[in-house]
Amino acid sequence: MLLVLIALFAVAGIAPFLFRMLGRSTFYVLAAVPALAFVWLLANFSSFIEADQGAASGSPNAPPVQMFNWLPSLGVHLDFRMDALAAVLCLLVLGVGALVLFYCARYFKNEDPHTGAFGAQLLAFAASMFGLVTADDMILMFIFWELTTILSFLLIGFNRTRMGARRSALTALMVTTFGGLTMLAGLIMLGTAAGTYRISEVLALAPELTRMGTYIDVAIVLMLVGAISKSALIPFHFWLPGAMAAPTPVSAYLHAAAMVKAGIYLIARFAPGFHETAFWQPVLLWLGLATMLIGGWRALKQNDLKLVLAYGTVSQLGFLVLILGIGTPNAAMAGLAMMLAHGFFKATLFLIVGIIDHKSGTRDIRQLSGLRSSSPVLFVVAVIAAASMAGVPPLFGFVAKEAVYESLLEHASSNGAPGMVLLLGVMLGSAMTFAYAARFLWGGFARKAGMKPTPFPKVPWLFLAPLLVLTLATVVFAWVPGSLEAAITPYVGLFPAADHPIHLAIWHGFTPALGLSLVSMSAGVVIFVARKRISKVQAMVPAYFDAERDYKLIITGVDNLAIWLTGRTQRGSLSFYLVVILMTALVLPTVVSLWLQTPAPGNLIAFDTPAQLVIGCIMILGALGALQANRRFLAVLMVSVSGYGMAAIFALQGAPDLAVTQLLVETIVLVAFVLALRALPVELWSKNPTGHRLVRALIGIGFGASMIYIAATSMASRIADPISLAYPELAYTGGAGKNIVNVTLVDMRAWDTFGEITVLAAAATGVASLIFVRGRGDKTLNAALVPRGSVDHGSEAIGGASHSRSGMAVAKNFAISSKDSWLVAGHTLAPERRSITFEVVTRLLFHTILLASVYLLLAGHNTPGGGFAGGLLAGLALAIRYLAGGRVELAEAIPVSPGTLMGSGLALAAASAVAPLFFGAQIFTSAAIEFSWPLFGDHKFVTSTIFDIGVYLVVVGLVIDVLRSLGSEIDERSEGRSPTDTHDLVSDAETGVGR
Amino acid sequence: MIDAPLSAVSFAPLAVALPIFGAALAFIMRRKRRTQITVTISVLVITLCLEIWMLATVWGGGTYAVTLGGWAPPFGISMVVDGFSAFMLVVSSVVCLAVLLYATSQGMADGDEDGPVSIFHPAYLILVAGVSNAFLAGDLFNLYVGFEILLTASYVLLTLGGTVARIRAGTTYVVVSVLSSMLFLISIGMIYAATGTVNMADLSLKLAEIAPGTQTVLHVMLLVAFGIKAAVFPLSFWLPDSYPTAPAPVTAVFAGLLTKVGVYAIIRTETLLFPGNKFSTALLVVAGLTMLVGILGAVAQTDIKRMLSFTLTSHIGFLIFGVAVGNQLAMGATVYYVAHHIVVQTSLFLVAGLIERRAGTSNIDRLGSLAKLSPLLGMLFFIPAINLGGIPPFSGFLGKLGLVQGGAEMGTPLAWVLIAVSLLTSLLTLLTIARIWNRAFWRKAEDAVDPDPLLLVGVGAKRGATYDIVADEPGSKYSDRGDSALLPKGMLAMTGALVLVGVALTVFAGPLFDFSDRAAEQLLNPGHYIEAVLGSTEGNSP
Amino acid sequence: MSTNVTLLIVMGVLFAVGIYLLLERSLTRVLLGIVVLGNGVNLLILASGGRRGEAPLYEADLGAEEYSDPLPQALILTAIVITFAVTAFMLGMIYRSWAISRADVVADDDEDLRVSQQSTFDFEEDSPVPEDTTEFDGDEIQPDTIQETGPRA
Repeated sequence: MLLVLIALFAVAGIAPFLFRMLGRSTFYVLAAVPALAFVWLLANFSSFIEADQGAASGSPNAPPVQMFNWLPSLGVHLDFRMDALAAVLCLLVLGVGALVLFYCARYFKNEDPHTGAFGAQLLAFAASMFGLVTADDMILMFIFWELTTILSFLLIGFNRTRMGARRSALTALMVTTFGGLTMLAGLIMLGTAAGTYRISEVLALAPELTRMGTYIDVAIVLMLVGAISKSALIPFHFWLPGAMAAPTPVSAYLHAAAMVKAGIYLIARFAPGFHETAFWQPVLLWLGLATMLIGGWRALKQNDLKLVLAYGTVSQLGFLVLILGIGTPNAAMAGLAMMLAHGFFKATLFLIVGIIDHKSGTRDIRQLSGLRSSSPVLFVVAVIAAASMAGVPPLFGFVAKEAVYESLLEHASSNGAPGMVLLLGVMLGSAMTFAYAARFLWGGFARKAGMKPTPFPKVPWLFLAPLLVLTLATVVFAWVPGSLEAAITPYVGLFPAADHPIHLAIWHGFTPALGLSLVSMSAGVVIFVARKRISKVQAMVPAYFDAERDYKLIITGVDNLAIWLTGRTQRGSLSFYLVVILMTALVLPTVVSLWLQTPAPGNLIAFDTPAQLVIGCIMILGALGALQANRRFLAVLMVSVSGYGMAAIFALQGAPDLAVTQLLVETIVLVAFVLALRALPVELWSKNPTGHRLVRALIGIGFGASMIYIAATSMASRIADPISLAYPELAYTGGAGKNIVNVTLVDMRAWDTFGEITVLAAAATGVASLIFVRGRGDKTLNAALVPRGSVDHGSEAIGGASHSRSGMAVAKNFAISSKDSWLVAGHTLAPERRSITFEVVTRLLFHTILLASVYLLLAGHNTPGGGFAGGLLAGLALAIRYLAGGRVELAEAIPVSPGTLMGSGLALAAASAVAPLFFGAQIFTSAAIEFSWPLFGDHKFVTSTIFDIGVYLVVVGLVIDVLRSLGSEIDERSEGRSPTDTHDLVSDAETGVGR
Repeated sequence: MIDAPLSAVSFAPLAVALPIFGAALAFIMRRKRRTQITVTISVLVITLCLEIWMLATVWGGGTYAVTLGGWAPPFGISMVVDGFSAFMLVVSSVVCLAVLLYATSQGMADGDEDGPVSIFHPAYLILVAGVSNAFLAGDLFNLYVGFEILLTASYVLLTLGGTVARIRAGTTYVVVSVLSSMLFLISIGMIYAATGTVNMADLSLKLAEIAPGTQTVLHVMLLVAFGIKAAVFPLSFWLPDSYPTAPAPVTAVFAGLLTKVGVYAIIRTETLLFPGNKFSTALLVVAGLTMLVGILGAVAQTDIKRMLSFTLTSHIGFLIFGVAVGNQLAMGATVYYVAHHIVVQTSLFLVAGLIERRAGTSNIDRLGSLAKLSPLLGMLFFIPAINLGGIPPFSGFLGKLGLVQGGAEMGTPLAWVLIAVSLLTSLLTLLTIARIWNRAFWRKAEDAVDPDPLLLVGVGAKRGATYDIVADEPGSKYSDRGDSALLPKGMLAMTGALVLVGVALTVFAGPLFDFSDRAAEQLLNPGHYIEAVLGSTEGNSP
Repeated sequence: MSTNVTLLIVMGVLFAVGIYLLLERSLTRVLLGIVVLGNGVNLLILASGGRRGEAPLYEADLGAEEYSDPLPQALILTAIVITFAVTAFMLGMIYRSWAISRADVVADDDEDLRVSQQSTFDFEEDSPVPEDTTEFDGDEIQPDTIQETGPRA
């Protein structure tokens, strides 16, 4: 069983390669696989039908099973079970599948490039159907179910360049997937209630489950939605005629024998256990009947032979669902027989249409004429198949229909009026079936008045062979229905035994059923003969019920809703997103904290020192000033006021490290701001067109107030001692340092610092990337190669210092005369840009600051400072030198590229972090090494200092990167020429990695 | 003595340190492009091996803590390796490696000699380090640092090349990310104020003792901060405006990983810091809205990358659904679904990159004929696409199945509503991808509204001659490279590899689900975590 | 633990100002907003450490609670640096934005605006399509023949 499945899928998988070698003859190879499987099925048939159908899987007399664990935690297993029902379906799936594939070998052109994929999909489809009917696990069944959906999507869309085909494929996909997903919900409800997903077990538990009432009723009806969507019942029927965009063999297989039968199968599978649930009969009987009638009605007005059959199929599917939905053993027998009959004749009819289309180039009734005489064999085949569809004796269709009438009569006798309505409805439907069968024959083969015979070449026997086989089945089984009855009977045994079990036979005697058959056939003749009058009536009756239009309305509605909602939410405006986020962040915690009991803020102190209050006020003023400031640099300065205020607060609060760091950071940030923003207009765009000042102010104030309150309540909630109480002791004994904060940073929480310098390196890279765009621009610049006085010529001096005329003269004099400038590259600067005082001061300060920075780095372990502060100080020294001497000076001051600096810093930090691992200690374990030098006395070296040196290097690298990017590079651009950089801004805008 | 299983886990910090070290080397060797590529790839491979080793160690269960620098918790920083974090590490590294190779192949094909590779590689490695750090963090503040590492790297990657569109998208992304980081930091401040600790295991104990009202406030604040990162409705609007403009490999890795880091943090918040699933109802509502609003957004789009961005946010809803249901079944399915979604969403963005390369656009109004021009591309799109749509038998279906089963087990009316919403979302996802398929792959390019010239050249000529005609066009971007430049083999191969990983998630779903079930058990019993971190001063505990 | 009202109020003002600036359209102001917000957050963390104490430089005879809390200080230091890094990056972005598009404002996303205004009529799905009554006139017979005109409306 599993072998068959694997073989089918495997051959499907290699099919495209086979096609490359064998061309369309590959279809014969593909057909051989289901054909062999069919033989296997027949050879073992007795073992499937002789087993006890209701027996639990695994018990000795149960049908053959193969079970594998797959997802035990989800209760999903790879369980396959070949019982009578599955075997009967497999006859159809494999048999018709083999024949259709065989037929394809003549249907398609040899050179069609898509046939490889097509063959694979069709065979995979057969495999999926095989899996679907043999799966003994609801989820596994669902998997195959959806596989058939996807494959049918691909197959319907085979003529991909036609819009109609694509659209039909999409419709079929959406409708059947909608049903499938609904079914999944039902299956999961069922599985959850039953505690198992094994179908045989669920069915065994059915009596208890049905007693659960509404829950199971709902589960079953959800499941049935899947069945009726797949089997194209109203209101889902419209996808099936649309699916006729598929190549005709596909229609023959999917829409006659296979896919649509999945829904029938599902109903048949669950009917024994659940046909008594509340919605089962109402849904299936009445939808079935309505579908049968509407399908028949529509079939009568089609001019495309294929559509006649398509609506006929819709009608027949309604019919099948109706019968199987009744849930009596006789109806089950009749239903399965009818399903087989339908498989035989409907596949044949579709294949006939395929041949007609193939040979004549049309399927339009209005263009076909005289095919009866030009292809008599095809005509005979068509007559037999159509007659079987119409329920004309002595064909298998008649045998099955007789059984149906018997079971319907039985149902009517026990159900009164509704049963009678059903019976009459079916009779009417059958009459229409007869009529459209006749219309098919007439339309396809008759010699029509005033039309020339359609040219029709001879049909090769190989092309006809599959049809003949199916026709043979239609004829032979009419006379020997016993073997099929034997196959169906075990399934029927799952129902409580019938009082008068029916049997399939061509002659039951003069029974009421025969009478009904005759009546409906006569009515059919009338309908066919009066076809012109009826079509007039049809043209007058508007389509009251047009599910396809409703489907389109729904899809358009979804599109409208999508556009409306997306337009409301996805505004494309950053401010809007921020407002939404801030409102969430403001409202939720505030509401919660006001609603729930939080500790009242307590233990309040107004301020620690009066100075704190003063600084606080200054900070507030600075912040408010930033709000008002209309000039860019003024706003920056105002923000800096609050930043420097932070440093003061830190200093007062007993946080010297923070104070130092904040001071340095604030300064560097200020420099960076000035450098980056000097190219931008002075005025800030204060008159904001989208305004909303009040809203923004309210959100801001609300957020601030809310955070004050939450912070106060959080502080009042503290009951435990902070872990940091242990820090002083840990830092001193474990970290060998007196500066607790520094030890925390480079040892206890060194991992944070490691991450932090990584952030720095990334940000520096980002700045370089944004300014240089292509690469880090790590080209070195040599002062000797830059002409004197060329740099920054014509651009305004940084800081906006205005030169008086005399001052300028001095500067020029200075610039030209000094042979040995104070700064290495000072002479490259344009004379008006130079400032003697600045250069002198820089000369004096630079190395002092550098020394101080190294001191901060090394002493940081015990006194305020550390690698970070040290690095910033060094960076500041470089910034001063850049400001004094220009970009060439910067390049001269530090010949190493920032990338290298940061890289080595990061590498050093990482290495010092990882090194302890090689000594068998944890990462970042530090060690204190004590040593004494002759002159300097005893020293203690803590290995975490190495890490701090890494930090130092990264920070210096960052500052240089910022200076080079926001400083030097922008300088160069504003100079309008660029000795190192050859690309201009416009072309930059087009570049980037990929697109 | 360190015995074998422990030693794997004690190397956990290397999962962060190695990529950073690699980035350092890449900085130093920025001129030698080949070396840089070699370094980056080998670092990622080594990291991946290490992570697989770690995953193997915790596969059967067990939570291990590493205390950095040997400082006893809660004073130092802890890293915690349990099933979930190890699994996330491996999945993210697999994806990162595949995307890196894809990007490398793209760079090779474009012949970028002095290109942004010198920025891309170190930034990429730093991104990987940040993601790994976030997964491993056992310390709330360190989690913040991890976030910052990955965010800063992502800022760099997103604005790579600095075009107008990228700067615009970058602004949205950076500002929103910074705001979310601020909110996170504020939450950390509040939490420290209330508890005096930042160690997550310690917090798990101490948060439970403070006033319930404060607990809830802090809980909400954390969820809002993480919700932005995870792109949960209504905090998700920034994402579709940010991701699609970046270079394809960057978008791919962002889409796959970054939101998942947010989801990861939410899961830790819900299971470790504030266990008990107190916000179940609220999260269910949020999950439903995330799914619906996201998927409707996708339906409205006409650009493949934007559609994918919307499906991305939409499917975050599935993960939140799992968290909100919060039983072991749903949590296990969530763990599995996270992995699925990372892999599939990344593959799809890689495919979108290939489409853009081949067709010159990712707008479906301008696309067509792709199935004919490159059947392989068709397969590479189709499989992950239906996987995303949750169509059996792929991992998307299995994950969804687990979530729905978990919801059914919960059984409340709201849970059933959510099941319905999740199924509807699957259906609309399918609609979206089927539309892409119909138009971009099946439709003839000439039938498109405004076909891209790159697709039209050669239509009508004999098959196979397409590229020659492109080559004849003067000034064509691909004039001298032909077929392999349109769709470089390396890029196809890497996309294919990820698609196969997605398929492997299905094939090995059995053991994976068993594993995620165990991981969920660990998540739902924070005792394991707390004991691993605080239970022994050795730093390691089984 | 004690709650310092001054610190909290300054924090609140910084938050309010920061958010007000953040919601501006001018990129420079947005960045200033971030910087101000960052300062506010640092104040919060500082306040979460409790009242002021001695600078955390170890002295043997000082009790642990005499120092001002060192842990928040370490956290703030990291936070300062990270905000610094982000600030530097955003400065680069502001410059870049100015350099390529002379814009100092946050632009709206064009694609979003386009999507919200598009029509729901879709040629692919909503245009009338002729019914085919055969499969054998299309290009599957001769897939390589040149189609002069596509079936465009």
